[in-house]
Parts: sequence; structure tokens; C-alpha cells
Amino acid sequence: MTAIAIPIQTNQTAPRRVLSVTRLHFVNKWQILYLPLLILAFIFLLDLAIWWLILTAQSSTHDRHSAEKGLNFTGSIFYIYVYVLIIAIQAVSRTFPFALGFGVTRRNYYLGTSAAFVGLGVVFSAILTAGSVIENATGGWGIGGHFFTTAYFHDGSWGLRFVIFLLLFLFAMFFGSAAASVFVRWKATGLTVFFGALALLLLGGGALITLNNGWLGFWGWFGEAGSLGVALWSLVPTAVAAIAGYFILQRATPKS
Amino acid sequence: MLVDDSRPIFLQIAEAIENDILSGALQEETQVPSTNEFAAFHRINPATAGKGVNLLVETGILYKKRGIGMFVAQGSHARLVAKRRESFENEFLAPLVAEAAKLGISRSQLAAMVSKHDAQTHEIPKEKTL
Amino acid sequence: MTTVVEVKGLSKHYGRFTAVDDATFSIEENRVYGLLGRNGAGKTTIMNLLTAQAFASSGSIRVFGESPVENANVLDRICFIKESQTYPEEFKPKHVFASAPWFFPNWDAEFADRLVADFRLPLNRRIKKLSRGQLSAVGVIVGLASRAPLTFFDEPYLGLDAVARQIFYDRLLEDVGEHPRTVILSTHLIDEVSKLLEHVILIDEGRIIVDEEADELRGSETTVSGTSAAVDAFIAGREVLSRTGLGGLASVTVGRLDAAGRAAAAAAGLELSTVSLQQLIVRKTNVSEKEFEQSK
Repeated sequence: MTAIAIPIQTNQTAPRRVLSVTRLHFVNKWQILYLPLLILAFIFLLDLAIWWLILTAQSSTHDRHSAEKGLNFTGSIFYIYVYVLIIAIQAVSRTFPFALGFGVTRRNYYLGTSAAFVGLGVVFSAILTAGSVIENATGGWGIGGHFFTTAYFHDGSWGLRFVIFLLLFLFAMFFGSAAASVFVRWKATGLTVFFGALALLLLGGGALITLNNGWLGFWGWFGEAGSLGVALWSLVPTAVAAIAGYFILQRATPKS
Repeated sequence: MLVDDSRPIFLQIAEAIENDILSGALQEETQVPSTNEFAAFHRINPATAGKGVNLLVETGILYKKRGIGMFVAQGSHARLVAKRRESFENEFLAPLVAEAAKLGISRSQLAAMVSKHDAQTHEIPKEKTL
Repeated sequence: MTTVVEVKGLSKHYGRFTAVDDATFSIEENRVYGLLGRNGAGKTTIMNLLTAQAFASSGSIRVFGESPVENANVLDRICFIKESQTYPEEFKPKHVFASAPWFFPNWDAEFADRLVADFRLPLNRRIKKLSRGQLSAVGVIVGLASRAPLTFFDEPYLGLDAVARQIFYDRLLEDVGEHPRTVILSTHLIDEVSKLLEHVILIDEGRIIVDEEADELRGSETTVSGTSAAVDAFIAGREVLSRTGLGGLASVTVGRLDAAGRAAAAAAGLELSTVSLQQLIVRKTNVSEKEFEQSK
């Protein structure tokens, strides 16, 4: 017989298996990386154009100055956090059945996907930080615009900003991945229950604060903690989402 | 001869090779196609083809030359003829007689038919002594 | 012969519905198995359980000697191709084949390329824009080129046209001849694959009703037909598996007939025809269902 027995490859190690899942998320970089950045650039240019239009429409210097002040904080940068949340949900709900079909354990899938999210967060944070530094250096792109540096988040060294951006990205992504895990395991019903419960929780918390006249103190805490403090505290819900996601996925099945 | 699904396939493979030896298509001491070639030709599982070939090795019709392949054993032709002669009566003679009876053909009519057939095809089988 | 899969008392319930009912069987290495049965009989569920994509309700599963659940050591050596495989949005076949080697250590890229040409698969078209046949081809190519020691094909060729299906069967046979591995095919297109199979496991309503060598099954039943009188005389003392009739004619299915039996039938003027694997499977399934109904 000229048949060759198939050798069972043993070059698969745990880190390599996890890394394979991470690579899987970046096979198609368009959806997960290029598109969000492209849209970000588009929104940025749009904002710039609008500011420039508003400013050039002002006749006197006085009007110009007050207009510049109002231009300050568009907050449109927060679009990217919403988009990243959606990416996380899509990534998990779509690659989970595929990866399981390729013989990946749920544990390795979760670790690899989490690593991909962290990596993505680092890349995006770096870009936002760089943007904010340049923004400061050019005095708001020459027209006093604030895109990368927003109210409440615009102080501090570039290192600080990077950390804050990153922590917020991680929060958005792990929250999305937890939601996706709920969806993968319990489908649409589960997701409805999840968001329903979340809404109840927030409403309940809001009611509690209202009853105790605590809104002043609530917002005050934000001011006291500062942007870094709040971002660090966001690690708590991030960690909860990350751990919950893992355990939810452990018994999920990729049923189509 | 194509293989069908009504009898064990490995038996059909073995029979196909035996038929080729009997007809002279496969001469003694020549090589037979490989298992994979049989499998590809008949579109069957190579392992099943291998089973058929191995059966013939066990009965001494084929033998293996290491590193080269399977060969037709010497004397296999004679052995196969003897074996087939034994089953000739059951497989061919009995149905023929039964059909002839159904159609009301007498023995003498049968013999006449055989002679006529020989004259037409010019093929008179030589009696082979074993 | 090493046993690669060992299943004992496996059951799976979805609420009150029993998908797999106390299944016990084993799979030996480097053979081609057919997992046959009607739609919804439980073939896919069993494959899902063996590949740890679903969790058993009870019973034990051992693949390569270990439980496959969350076991990367075992899952690395398995390739499970199913018809309903979902792919990440915006994926193209080239993405699938680019990432496959990371998950299948034995992946043969050259073989994959040849198969892409054989199936005329457009590598650069998005998966969701592929035709049904092309989508099936993606799965089939992964299953073949993965060279995984244990490969499951869950009717992934349903979308393929007859020509493409024949290509699949031919490539599969060639490949297991040169690179032996354990292949489990599930299908209800029995006639087409029957010549590939070495061993048959037949499932009906979650229960295993046949677990035998294919060659044992082939020729194990014969149909005898002729006048009712002649048929009745012939079957005296023989086990009759089924019977049909038309006017004064009858046709019965009996067990295996040896040479003497065949001669006797011929002498009685009866016609013989052998029962194909597909007919045999259909008959056994029908019998099983009737028994199941009666036992309820």
C-alpha cells in the first residue's frame, strides 16, 4: 500500500490557538478597521467644513469670537464608541458559529476575541490621542475647533488621554460582546430580556437618585472624580461584562 | 463490467479480475492494476477494492511483489477454470434447462439450436482438459 | 483497528422532543462511514454532539479517547462541514481558505487550489453573493483540503449539481486512498454515495436501527417474483421480509439466497433481482417506523 498515514500535528499550542482566533477577526480588515476610521475621517472633515462655513459667515471680529467659543465641543467623536459597540456585537455573533465550525473551543474563542478587541481599542485610542495632540498644537485646526478634545475629556497629557480613550473603548466593546453572547446563547428573546433588564436597572437607579434628591451629588461626583476617575471606574462594568460574556458563551451553541 | 450495489462490492471486484484472467485479458505473471486504479475506475472506496484484491491473494490467484504490486499467479487460469466449471451447472445450466422447459423446447431441439449457433458464429469451443 | 469514536447510551432532548435516543456505536479509524436516515432522523444532532457543538443530555462520548467538549486537543483533529455553515459577513472564499490553515494543522493549500479550479469557485465574490452550489463547494473544499484525521460531512453537497457532486465523490475517494482518514458522511442520497461507504449506520427517529458493514448489507436481500403459486411454494420455510402482489403475480423479499437457492428459484421459473442498498435502507426505515408507531 502506498498510503501515507496522516501525522497528527502537535505544533498547536494554547497561545497559538488563541492567536488564530484573534487573526480571524482581522482577516477582513475592512469591516473592523478601515470602515470605522473612514467614517471618522468623514465626520471630522464634515465638522471642519461646517465650522469654517460658520466662521466665514461672521462679519465682525466680535461675532467671530463668540462663534468660536460656541464651536467648541461637537461631541461627534462619540459616534465611534457607538460604532465600536456595534462592531463588537457583529463580530461575536457572526464569527462564533464560524469559529466553532472550525473546531475552536469556546474558551479559546473568547480569549482570542477579547485580545482582538483590546488590540483594536489600542489602535483606535492611539489614533484619537494623536488627533487630540495635533488639535492642540494647531490651536483647533486653525479655527478653534474641538473634535478630538471634548469637554470634560480634554485635559491632561497625551498618555492620560490615551488611557481614557482606551478604557472607554474597552467598556463599549466588552459591553457589546456581552450583549452578543446573550444573543448567541438565547437568541432574540434573550437579547430583549437583557436590554429590558438593563433599562429597568437604569430606570431604577434614576428613580433612587431622584427620590433622594441626589442628582446634584451624582453629577458632582463626575466632576470630582475627573475624566480619569470615571474612566477607571468604568473598568468595573467592563470587567463584569467580560466575565459574564465568558460564562454565557460556555454553554452557547452555534445553532443556525 | 461495472460494479453495482446489489452484491458485496469486494466480491464483484474479485470476480471482475477472475473474469479477466479467464478470458486471457490478464495473463499469468503479469501485473494487475493497483487498488487505487480499480477504485478510481469503478468509483468505489479504495479500501473495498483492496478487500477484493486481498481475497484473491488469499485464494492464491494473485500474489504480491514487494514494492511493485500485484501479479497474476502461475496456474491461476487453470484453477479458475476448474472452479467455474463446478458452478457452471447451477449458474448457467439450470436456468437454461428451466427456460427451455418453459418454452417447450425438447432436448433434441436444444442440441440442434446449439449446432446452429456454432455454425453461425464459427466458434466451436475446444475441449480443455485440466 | 483503533477506535476513534466511542459512543455509549447517548441521548439528547430538546424539551419533550427526543432527537437522539440511547445511541451506542463506535467508529474505527481510516474508514468511510455512512450516517444514513431520513430528514430529521437525528444525523445532524449526532454530529453536533460528537464535535461538541451541542451538549449531550446523557450518555458518554469519547473521541480519540477523550471527551471532545471544550477539548482543543481533540477538536484540532476534527473537521465538521455542515450545509448550514454560517460565515462572517463580508467574507469571501479567499478569506475562508486563508484562515483555514490556522485551524487545521494538516491543511493542504495546493489541494485546495486544485479543488477551487475543479469546482470553478470565484474566490473574490462575497459569500452572501454566492450561488447555493458555490456555497456548498466552499464547505466541501474545506472538508477535503483540511485532511483532518476525523472529518464529518453533514450533507454539504446538497447545493451541488450532479456534476459537482461526482467531482466531490471522486476527489474524496482519491484522497482517502492516498491519505487515509476517518470520514463520516451523512446523507439521504443513498444511491449516489453507496459505493463509497464501507460501513453503514442507519438512524430513525433518534434510534440506531442498522450498524453494519456495507458489504454485509449488499446482497443480503433478494426479491423473488413470479406467479403467486410458484412464489408461495418457494418461500415455504424461508423468512419473508416484505410482499407485494398484482393479480396472480407476487413479489416477495427474502434474505440472502445462496447458489442452491438461486438455482431452485430459476428451476421454479421465478425471477430474481437483488435489493439495492437504498431500497434496503428504505424498507428497514419503514419497518422501524411502523414498529415505533405500534409500540406507542
